[in-house]
Amino acid sequence: MVVEGLLYTKDHEWAKVEGDVVTMGITDYAQEQLGELVFVELPQVGKQLIARKEIAVVESSKAAGDVYSPVTGTVTEVNSELGTKPELINEDCYKSGWICKLQVTDKKSLDNLMNAKKYQEYLDTL
Amino acid sequence: MQGSTPSGQFVFEPPVAEPAPSVLYEEHLKLTNKSRMSPFAGYVMPLWYSTIAAEHQAVRRAAGLFDCTHMGVLEFSGGGAVGVLHAATTNDVRKLAVGRAQYGYILDAAGNILDDIIVYRRAEQLYMVVVNAANEPKIKAYLKELLAGRVVVEIEPHRTGFSPCEPCVLRDMRDTTTGSDCRVDVALQGPASIDVLAKLSSDGSIAEKLSGLKPFAFFEEKLSGIDCLICRTGYTGSKVGFELFVHPDQAARLWNLILEAGKPLGVLPCGLGARDSLRIEAGLPLYGHELDGKFGISPFEAGYGWAVKLDKAFFVGKAPMAKIAQTYEMQVARLEFSAAKGVRPIRPDDPVVDGCGVCVGWVLSSATAGEKQYALACISRNAATEGNTLGVYYLARSPSQVQQGRAERMDKGQQAQADLTGTVVGRFEKF
Repeated sequence: MVVEGLLYTKDHEWAKVEGDVVTMGITDYAQEQLGELVFVELPQVGKQLIARKEIAVVESSKAAGDVYSPVTGTVTEVNSELGTKPELINEDCYKSGWICKLQVTDKKSLDNLMNAKKYQEYLDTL
Repeated sequence: MQGSTPSGQFVFEPPVAEPAPSVLYEEHLKLTNKSRMSPFAGYVMPLWYSTIAAEHQAVRRAAGLFDCTHMGVLEFSGGGAVGVLHAATTNDVRKLAVGRAQYGYILDAAGNILDDIIVYRRAEQLYMVVVNAANEPKIKAYLKELLAGRVVVEIEPHRTGFSPCEPCVLRDMRDTTTGSDCRVDVALQGPASIDVLAKLSSDGSIAEKLSGLKPFAFFEEKLSGIDCLICRTGYTGSKVGFELFVHPDQAARLWNLILEAGKPLGVLPCGLGARDSLRIEAGLPLYGHELDGKFGISPFEAGYGWAVKLDKAFFVGKAPMAKIAQTYEMQVARLEFSAAKGVRPIRPDDPVVDGCGVCVGWVLSSATAGEKQYALACISRNAATEGNTLGVYYLARSPSQVQQGRAERMDKGQQAQADLTGTVVGRFEKF
């Protein structure tokens, strides 16, 4: 499932842009591939990242997956509920399964993201 | 180079080939998305259909159905078959009765495990041997060389080949061009298995026959008209569980009949994920992890010294086994940890540390089962006492963890603070 209005990376992260703030998580395709998640390592608030740098680790009972920042920015808030409920990502990856919010420091880093249509086309090639 | 070296090692270069769809591939695609299919041991196999946890629970509470058609199935026939198997495997094949199966190992003369196997005796001069899918090409090559007398079977005194007095014919039972009696493995494991199979039989006494069947015993019977070899063996730790060997052309029909009959009882098809978590929870070894693999784990270290009969006059690899039996210092242990929400899963290679924070070994395999996670670990024998408290240190799994100072590897004897504490539990568990 791909949601309209969000932006996407080839590594299967999504980004919701609201002004200078980006909320991010992993896509439905990513959570499907990983299976039932049992652990999420969240970034620290204040951490500065450039786009495509590792921001979090999600682990299922069988695999660990790196999550990359879709944009260049600073982490302003994390979804600490995932600490005890990692399954929120499986259940609702685009809403209650969000991972963190970033203050965008380089707007140009948004240019590399795909819209929903492009991402769906990309998924169709996999 | 391929074949037997003067030092007794058997070297094999696996053929490079595209993974093949299993016999049941089309059935899997009816049950799960193509993205859940993954290459495994030369075949494209399902990782899971519903969830690993649901499939694991189905096997413990009802039953689960597994595609094991990728497992190698070889036939040895003729007057020389027993002698060849007795010499080529570590267990006592001469003592194996018709209708019984036996676990054992095929070693090279240097003592390396080539595979762990199950030998089934179907008739006086007819044996079926089930080998791991990943090792099947190697085992076939080895056995052909062995029968041709081109394998070093003993180093001291140096001996190449042994000649069976009577003929021994080797046949691939999954290859339908080799004869009409062909077999592939489909496994039904869990307490509801008997009820499911009884529904497929017109024989009113089949349920009694199945429940009276001893572990590692088998019989041949028709289920819904399909010729089956039904054996009380499996790889899940289930007290009740069967492997069904059927003709490859009948496998899909049997698969669907079992799923249909099992549906009201809660039977689920199970993928590789649950197959792994079930065998780890039960303490069963996987070749390449708890046997051989990077630590070169022997049957003694794995907890299967009983399947290596050092009192036999001869088997290939006996001399190195006799030495290892006296000197081994590490062993495979089963460790239990919490899997509560927010507890990071243990991974293979994570170091195991003792109460003083000293590394005593490493995790080989790990899995979550309900509220617990289990690790099979290779640790010092003196640390492996049941009830002993041990810890695990999580190795760095990402560049940022390395930056934060987390170790990427750890040697025995190094100091580390345990991230998670658990207990050594019994080596095996039955469910």
